[in-house]
Amino acid sequence: MLIPNHPDPNHPDDGRLSALASRDDDATQDAALTSHVSTCIRCTEVVDELGALRASLASLPDLEPSRPLQLLPPVADAPVAAGGGGWIRRLFAPALTAGAALAMVGLVGTVAPFAGMASSGAAPFMDADAGAEEAAASHLQVLSSGGEAAPAAGGQTDSTDEEPLASLDEFAGRADESAAPDEEVAAGGEELGAATDRQLPAERSPWPMVLFTGIALIVAAVLLRWVLVPRAG
Amino acid sequence: MTEASERTPANRTPPLPDEAAVIARAADGDRTAFTQLMEHYQSACYGLAWRLLGNADHAADATQDAFIHAYRAIGSYRGGIFRSWLLRITANASYDILRRQQRRPSSPLPDPEEGAPELPDVGAVNPVAEATKSELYRHLEVALRRLPPDQRTAVVLCDVYGMDYNEVAAMTQSALGTVKSRIHRGRLRLRELMAEHRELFTG
Repeated sequence: MLIPNHPDPNHPDDGRLSALASRDDDATQDAALTSHVSTCIRCTEVVDELGALRASLASLPDLEPSRPLQLLPPVADAPVAAGGGGWIRRLFAPALTAGAALAMVGLVGTVAPFAGMASSGAAPFMDADAGAEEAAASHLQVLSSGGEAAPAAGGQTDSTDEEPLASLDEFAGRADESAAPDEEVAAGGEELGAATDRQLPAERSPWPMVLFTGIALIVAAVLLRWVLVPRAG
Repeated sequence: MTEASERTPANRTPPLPDEAAVIARAADGDRTAFTQLMEHYQSACYGLAWRLLGNADHAADATQDAFIHAYRAIGSYRGGIFRSWLLRITANASYDILRRQQRRPSSPLPDPEEGAPELPDVGAVNPVAEATKSELYRHLEVALRRLPPDQRTAVVLCDVYGMDYNEVAAMTQSALGTVKSRIHRGRLRLRELMAEHRELFTG
């Protein structure tokens, strides 16, 4: 017969008996409680029943799902790898966007002077940079075409033994002052590369570097994601 | 209380034979390995969700949510018993649904006698003992569903799935004393509800 769960001044609270049934430390170390239970048929029965109930609950079987479950989330929910693929994935899109923006700005900044040159036929404004050879070649092409800038090459050729010029602007300025005959153009052109190498101006155009940085950022982002973020198999 | 969360009763899903290797592959992004794990443990997760929620559809939804959480988090799994780790995720997913239900009390409470899933064979060699066990489990499931939600949650997490008091308190965002009280009251209520089937405990 079930002993009801009612407060009884002659017995411990049933909650304490439940704690004893689950072997809680505070209950098993309660000498008054354990002493009472060991001599009380009613409380012993409650503890035993609660113990049997716990054992039955702990043996309840697993249950088959009511409907087929999707065991694998979509690929977009890729797992966060132990190696830290998560931060790479989070930074990938911003890095790609920033790289593309930088590359675009750098490209426009680098190409714009040439576009202007092509349309006007005048020597472009170009501060020499690390790619001075390309710049020199561009100038040489212009000079060879016999444009108004041709005397500049001659002037430069004549002045190779002089002090280095601070910039190609200064170079162009001097060229305006001393118009050289057309026949000197070829010879001047031959020496222009070497002259430009020796006379690198102090100012550097930032646009090629911006372009390079943007491309490098894109490549680095793609490579990092490819190498470090696990792919769906 | 002892660390009961490490026990795996005989009729619960045991670990996979090469579980550590499968987990490692899953953590490295191997979707086949992850599928293998979820397939193996889906009945364990669903059983927990169903006992917490008392509704087959909600239980399936919670289990599905748990798989997604597990997929995202398996890279940060740091050892221990995988079943317990996955069950904690499932319990959290189920508890989220339970909280949403409690904020919308218009949802009708399920009839404890209806909607109970088909219980699997308990695997006893003795048909009589098997029938007795099945009967006991059926009555226990109904009795669990008759408990108030807070007591049912605490009893299911602690007594059915072996989580300790601190785990249950953290999961339900309740004080330790509150959790203990809910568990003890829930057990005593279950004892009353199972009074007319006491003979099944000794069967």
